[in-house]
Amino acid sequence: MEIVELATGRRKPVSISRAEDKDFRILTEKRFTFDWISLKETTTVYKLQLCDTGDILGVMGLIDFPGEQRIEISLLASSRENRGKNKKYDRIAGCLIAFACKLAAKKYEGNACVSLVPKTALVKHYMSKYSMRYAGWQLYVEGQDLDNLIKEYINEKEKSNGTVYP
Amino acid sequence: MRKKKVTERYTLEDLASTMIFPVKLTKAQQKQAAIELAEARKKSQAAMSEETRISLRLFQLKFRLEEYIHSKEYDPTLTFGYFLKEYIRILDKKRKTFAAEISIDESLLSQLINQHRMPPDYISVRLELHSDNMIPASYWYKLVEKQKEHFIKTDASLRAKEKPFVHGGLRVQL
Repeated sequence: MEIVELATGRRKPVSISRAEDKDFRILTEKRFTFDWISLKETTTVYKLQLCDTGDILGVMGLIDFPGEQRIEISLLASSRENRGKNKKYDRIAGCLIAFACKLAAKKYEGNACVSLVPKTALVKHYMSKYSMRYAGWQLYVEGQDLDNLIKEYINEKEKSNGTVYP
Repeated sequence: MRKKKVTERYTLEDLASTMIFPVKLTKAQQKQAAIELAEARKKSQAAMSEETRISLRLFQLKFRLEEYIHSKEYDPTLTFGYFLKEYIRILDKKRKTFAAEISIDESLLSQLINQHRMPPDYISVRLELHSDNMIPASYWYKLVEKQKEHFIKTDASLRAKEKPFVHGGLRVQL
């Protein structure tokens, strides 16, 4: 999984894993917008970090609904320096959303679904950026679109000579 | 001066590409949201192609394999043969057809599935090519390696068999 350094165009490998207790000390509201300590009781929190430095650049809270074979992204934040026109890295949110798709596919295979409850003003942007579908209060992705997100952001195929390509 | 909120500092497009905000729904809204989503999913599930379903099942297999080869635990049921059988099942192919597709004898395929024979390296490569690189050869290889590592660590009969061939070994007490 890779993000893109916008100044150089270089791709940087990242990993996503469960946030540990010690991480919450640095997941400050100033850098990551929300109060993640209070959210860890109601959601499963994942962090995206650079493989080389370990710096955390994105955080996401998920809720699993096994009865509906669905995982809900209840919130997500790229770090402050990675938002807006001067952001340093691109694809942070995409990698996190695709990771939620991966978890859903791993658990629910063909019925896997990832959803979110959007702010009204952002609906059309989520739909165009991440191929989300409209379902009234919620947006969701499943089937071919979920498959495509995994392929675009996660599934780095290996050529027979061992090199990795996107 | 009033500090600008996050939603005021960035364009909507910027926000959507970097954030998802928590939205609190009332009980009634939650109920309506669940109904709407279930209806929408019913339609999209019905329209889903078999190809997409297979692709998602293959992803599931790949992610399970990935998780297992990266874990420290050894599970005697998660063998090369098991994952190969699952791969063929997902593709809904007969063993004879699949063996022909990777140019091996059906009897060799059965031996691999039933763990009567360890796979030669070329099998992992053919499986990678067959999956259009979705499941890398290295995953199959690491799976075999994990089995071999377990056997070499735990095979007492092999140790007993080989002992007579070792003379004058070290006698170091750590």
